[in-house]
Amino acid sequence: MCKSRMARIPFGPLFLLGILAAAAVLALSRPAGAQSLLDAAKKEGKVVIYGSLESGIMDEVEKAFTKKYGIGIDYWRAASNKVLDRVLTENRSGRPLFDVVVTNRGPMLFMKKENAFGKYVSPESANFPEDVRDPDGVLSPIYRMVIVGILYNTKLVKPGDAPKSLDDLLSPKWHGKWVIPDPSRHFTTGVWVRNLEEFYGKDWLAFAKKLADTKPVLAESFIPAAQKIISGEALAGITYVKYVHIFGKEGAPLDYVRLPKMLADGHHVAIAAKAPHVNAAKLFIDFFISREGMEIMAKEGEFVTAKGLYPPIKDAEKIKAIAMDELSDVEYKKWAAEFRKIFVTK
Amino acid sequence: MKAASVELLRPASSASWWRDPFALTVIGIAVVLAFLSIYPTAMLFYGSFTTTPLGETGKLSLSNYVTAYTDPETFTLLLDSFVFALGASAFSLLLALTLAWVTVRTNAPFRGIFELTAIVPNILPPVLIAISWTLLLSPSVGLLNAVMKNLFHLAESPLNIYSLPGLMFVEGLILTPLAFLIINAALRGMDPALEESARILGSNQFQIVRRVTFPLMRPAILAAGTLNFVRALESFDTPAIIALPARIEVFTTKIYREALAAYPPNYNLAATYGVSLLAVALVFVVLYRRFTSRVETFATVTGKGYRPHTIDLGRWKFVASAGALGILTLMVILPIVMLFLISILPYYHVPTLETIQLATLKHYAYIFKSDRVYRAIGNSLFLAVSGATAAMFLAALTAYITVKTKVFGRGILEGLTFLPWAFPSTALAIGLLWGYVRIPLPIYATIWILLIAYVTRFLPYGLRSVSSTIVQIHRELEEASRACGGGFWTTLRRILFPLMRPGLIAGWILLATIFMREFSLSLFLYTPSSEPVGPLLYFLWLDGLTGPLGALGILVSLVSAILVAVARRYSRISG
Repeated sequence: MCKSRMARIPFGPLFLLGILAAAAVLALSRPAGAQSLLDAAKKEGKVVIYGSLESGIMDEVEKAFTKKYGIGIDYWRAASNKVLDRVLTENRSGRPLFDVVVTNRGPMLFMKKENAFGKYVSPESANFPEDVRDPDGVLSPIYRMVIVGILYNTKLVKPGDAPKSLDDLLSPKWHGKWVIPDPSRHFTTGVWVRNLEEFYGKDWLAFAKKLADTKPVLAESFIPAAQKIISGEALAGITYVKYVHIFGKEGAPLDYVRLPKMLADGHHVAIAAKAPHVNAAKLFIDFFISREGMEIMAKEGEFVTAKGLYPPIKDAEKIKAIAMDELSDVEYKKWAAEFRKIFVTK
Repeated sequence: MKAASVELLRPASSASWWRDPFALTVIGIAVVLAFLSIYPTAMLFYGSFTTTPLGETGKLSLSNYVTAYTDPETFTLLLDSFVFALGASAFSLLLALTLAWVTVRTNAPFRGIFELTAIVPNILPPVLIAISWTLLLSPSVGLLNAVMKNLFHLAESPLNIYSLPGLMFVEGLILTPLAFLIINAALRGMDPALEESARILGSNQFQIVRRVTFPLMRPAILAAGTLNFVRALESFDTPAIIALPARIEVFTTKIYREALAAYPPNYNLAATYGVSLLAVALVFVVLYRRFTSRVETFATVTGKGYRPHTIDLGRWKFVASAGALGILTLMVILPIVMLFLISILPYYHVPTLETIQLATLKHYAYIFKSDRVYRAIGNSLFLAVSGATAAMFLAALTAYITVKTKVFGRGILEGLTFLPWAFPSTALAIGLLWGYVRIPLPIYATIWILLIAYVTRFLPYGLRSVSSTIVQIHRELEEASRACGGGFWTTLRRILFPLMRPGLIAGWILLATIFMREFSLSLFLYTPSSEPVGPLLYFLWLDGLTGPLGALGILVSLVSAILVAVARRYSRISG
């Protein structure tokens, strides 16, 4: 595992002391070059974004962005490993069609290593603490965290019967009744399983095996996992806590287990090495990680890293999130093979 | 009837061949066909023998084959693939035989309706059938399971779609129409005199079936079985929906996992499994061809206009109808009902009498408002119209050359169309990715690679539909045109194309309906801006958006049904 513990930040008030209300002021009074950037961006007319951010949230960002600058967003959403594949192959073919990529930290680091991104340090980056910024000036600071927890169906599971901890999932009554994205196929879930070391020390793999022995339902990624809990195909499962709000506001019966600590993954945004709409891309990134952009995301259910902004989820401010250590592609390949043995083929 | 007319079309003065439009056309078609079919095959091989990622050139090596065939999972994969294909094919044969027998040989009431089986696949995309059955037989939320649990007071769901039998069942339903077409035609073409003789010699009904009918049908049954075996082996629709969650690995899911779901993706290994799948498919398609040639040479199949003897089932005729209706219910009615249900439920759950009152049209409103749905429908319409036109133009010329002329090399043309016939979609897609990623034309990552893929893969379907009309056109008509001074292109444009029109139109519409919701090729080749309807349906399913999925599914099926009705009118005119 990559040992740089850069993103080991508990979520909440401790985090991001650097962000002050000044961010909002900064956003309003753009520096001198801003007008020419805006003009150039307007000429380009649109920005093409690939990412794993939920379409509904990007819709809200787009509304505000387009209203403010008159520039449209062309957004393609897919799971993070599909985003990675698309970006890398387009890049190798020499004809990238995207301007901006927004997804989880692991794939972002991988794409950075493969030279898929260009350098861009947004003026907004200054509002983030040093340790969440990219020293190479390629990736944006970590502007939000996706927190992985246990969600359950409140219609089918009585409040008292919900699991209280990860260990509760091992009990026979949960056998085959909870869902997890297949860690041998879904990168972030693979990283999550590997990071169980945080809770179980050197026994983490033994614990993962016990989890696998309860024959959980396997899903493609976190959204299908949440959907399976909503539809009742599973009663509980491992997925993002934010879905409590995102799907809950449409009436889905979801709540999350108040675990003492939860693992979380950072998110970055970056500009393509050969962005066809380079100015619109810069303008978008500035807006996206500004206080205004993060307020929109928080309102839609995201755990953004700006101080004092919380999603409309009960007890959100009490959640203690621990940033996961990323896996390199070689490490993931090795662990994915192991996870396939214990979760899939056994 | 099979007359040589090349000489006729050649200019009388033996001018140089490069100024002869006919020779140029033959060469042009050969080049296009070779490029469509051989190039991706070669690039698929190249991808499997190199170790650098897609888009970079590298050294050749055998290491991918070593990796693939030293992996112990590969052997479970081979076994599961074969068991699955065998089971699905056998099940489809059983259903097809029953349906064909009831419609052709009995006096069961309403048997004409069951003939509609043949057009089901043109209306209901396989992905939607698989999804509907998942929602019907999922162990936790399956509608049929819930109904059975209530009826029989069961604690556990009796059936589980996420299993090898579940996979075979759904694939078998999807493949039944294909087997029905072959068996139905053979049953119709059978000479009743043979059965009549057996009857006169004192055989009872059962003995006739066993000693006469079945042996006569054996080549058709073998052909249908082999064809469905290979179709199941290379199908990706059902495995994508059922095998992945069921933790069953077949060839196509393995290719998918290596190419699209791995981190990072490994297109080399995907190509290696693609080559293996292509090899297996080729072997079985060759076998199928041998069986069909035997069907054709069988003395029982003649062009006489008779109807075979129908068996009076007495009171059992209603049972026969009920049985056929049951099969049709499994194949069409239940899936459509399920799609309709999910399209009107606000969110997916097992509906009860109370929740059915929540029924809403909001998902229909959603698909008419969503930019992504609009774009997907636009892309699919473009692919359907331009793809079907290009494919039918190519098919008409190819069919003309191979059927009507004796030009040198027409056997090669025929051979070139054979390859796409056997090419599994997943393997073709991987070959095309390797083939076009480096070509400095805007093909890779655009809608054009989808168009090329569609035309390549489905050209044989177009050929079949024009070939049948082209043999009916007597060469006198071409001769007349020649005599009046018409050149090759004039004859083609003024005489042959108009006469081939019914076949061309029927084929065009058939291809258009296939292209409207093509899935297996598209999933590998699309880009965000060229996303067609097929992958969109799959992503709606993955993201759990069953409401919009149902609404879009119903819409696509409705459009296809209308197209098919028009096509049937045209093919009847031609008949």
